[in-house]
Amino acid sequence: MTRGLRCLFLVSAWMLQTPSWADEPLVVAPQTSQVNITTDFAGSDLKAIGAMDGPGDLIIKVVGPQQEATLSRETKLGPFWVGGDIVKMAGAPSLLFLYATAPIASILPPAEQQKYGLLLEGVPVRIEPQLTAHAADDWRKAFFRLKERQGYYHEDDRAIRVFGNRLFIADMRLPGDLQIGTYTVETLLVKSGKVVGHNVGNFRVRLSGIERWVWNAAHDYPWSFGSLFTLAAMVLGFVLNAIPYRRR
Amino acid sequence: MAIPFDPSLSNDEILMELFLPIAHMDVNIVLISLYGVLVGFLSGLVGVGGGFLITPLLIFTGVPPIVAVSSGAAQMAGTASGASYLHWRHGNIDFKTGLVLLVGSWLGGGFGVYLAKMLLRAGQFGNVVVFLYVILLGFIGVSMLIESLQAVIRAGAPAAGDAHATAAPRSLLRTWIQRLPWQTSFPASRVRMSAVGPLVLGAAVGILTSLMGVGGGFIMVPVMIYVLKMPTKIVVGTSLFQLLFTTAAVSVMQAGVNHSVDPFLALILILGSVLGTKLGTRLGARLPAEKLRLILALVVVAVAVKMIVTLVIPPSEIYDMTIEVR
Repeated sequence: MTRGLRCLFLVSAWMLQTPSWADEPLVVAPQTSQVNITTDFAGSDLKAIGAMDGPGDLIIKVVGPQQEATLSRETKLGPFWVGGDIVKMAGAPSLLFLYATAPIASILPPAEQQKYGLLLEGVPVRIEPQLTAHAADDWRKAFFRLKERQGYYHEDDRAIRVFGNRLFIADMRLPGDLQIGTYTVETLLVKSGKVVGHNVGNFRVRLSGIERWVWNAAHDYPWSFGSLFTLAAMVLGFVLNAIPYRRR
Repeated sequence: MAIPFDPSLSNDEILMELFLPIAHMDVNIVLISLYGVLVGFLSGLVGVGGGFLITPLLIFTGVPPIVAVSSGAAQMAGTASGASYLHWRHGNIDFKTGLVLLVGSWLGGGFGVYLAKMLLRAGQFGNVVVFLYVILLGFIGVSMLIESLQAVIRAGAPAAGDAHATAAPRSLLRTWIQRLPWQTSFPASRVRMSAVGPLVLGAAVGILTSLMGVGGGFIMVPVMIYVLKMPTKIVVGTSLFQLLFTTAAVSVMQAGVNHSVDPFLALILILGSVLGTKLGTRLGARLPAEKLRLILALVVVAVAVKMIVTLVIPPSEIYDMTIEVR
């Protein structure tokens, strides 16, 4: 793989405030402050290591920056299935991962899950244009179904390992195609159906290297970029095709 | 519960992945190179441009239709430059006809790019592209299949096919073009005709380039030979000259208006197609022409059938999601 074509995402440090171990029931620290991701990147492993003050359950929520999506619904036109209605879905996070030591529904009552945004299908999403409640519900369900199927909304109750009811390690896997922006990581300590410890941090994902340059050029200077690239393609084609014949 | 992505990918498989910044997706670099090789191979084998295969193959891979069409135009501009240069050196380009064609195709191409933008906004670009391809590939594939099967059956008597072809579409269109205004002499092609003819032809091809990512040689060459009555040698060089500057203009306009030219995708396709063209040219010299045309016809029909099947079979998921990349 050409080094020059490498894609570099930087996951910057979780901006954690680090309270003293004695005062807080829950302390979390990232193991990695920066991850370099190249074009052969097909996802990244992130680890969080922490400690809690005794037996309990843990929930880690990773939320990506908001992202707009266009949903289309295929309809039958004669014998053909073609794209029909379209709506815009706005305000929902690009990514929502819920990691826990046990199924969340078994450790927190629904009201608490709602309060802390731990219901995958409870994420607020704005649908444009405005639709009737029934129609909007179909689109909303389709949105969450597709997000789960594509791996951006995900719940896993086996990703956190706890040692001796005190220390824990969370193995979190991020997909390769990430929305650029700030991601928040919320860690909750749950005891007897109540959240007793709460920790929030964040990390930033940004495109860098040649991929970032290409993206910026294509969007900030589209006409210059298009002209120069097309010229470069023509010169390349000319060099590869015509010059070998000239030498004959 | 869905799994975020396939953690079972081996290191070798991961190394084959390339992130396309404009398409905003990972693609298998070997697969995309093979598309380029295949299209170049067909181009070298039977002399077709192959743009009509690149776009559907990229769409099958999951590349957004607008990125497939736009990057395909950039790829064709790249691959046509060398061939155009060779034709220019051999004096096979009628620049006067070529410039009239270009004016038409730039106007048509510009209109097509804005039409693509409107269709994208309405969420209908993918539908229009797929239907245009089904019609185009179905028509070309079936015509070629019938013609090449007849040629294979009649093997040994190729002259009959040529005579039939030359006699065919003379007709009303030629008479109509002769009556149009702006009758002009085109000395390099030794014809006198209305400039409106090549202008309209260029405009039609320009629209097809913007909407389908094709060079349009499959329309331009027969019209120039049979309707405009230009010499075959000049037709090939002039249509390549027109294709070079039309695809280049469409590539610039697609990048400028729709931000949809992916440079990595286009570069891999150019490299693949250059290699494929050399392989195809070598093999083409050894195989009989009617069999080559039959192979191409079967490939075209197979792509058309695959597209029809995806349109007719009820989808497992009727909803589709496109992310607004920022």
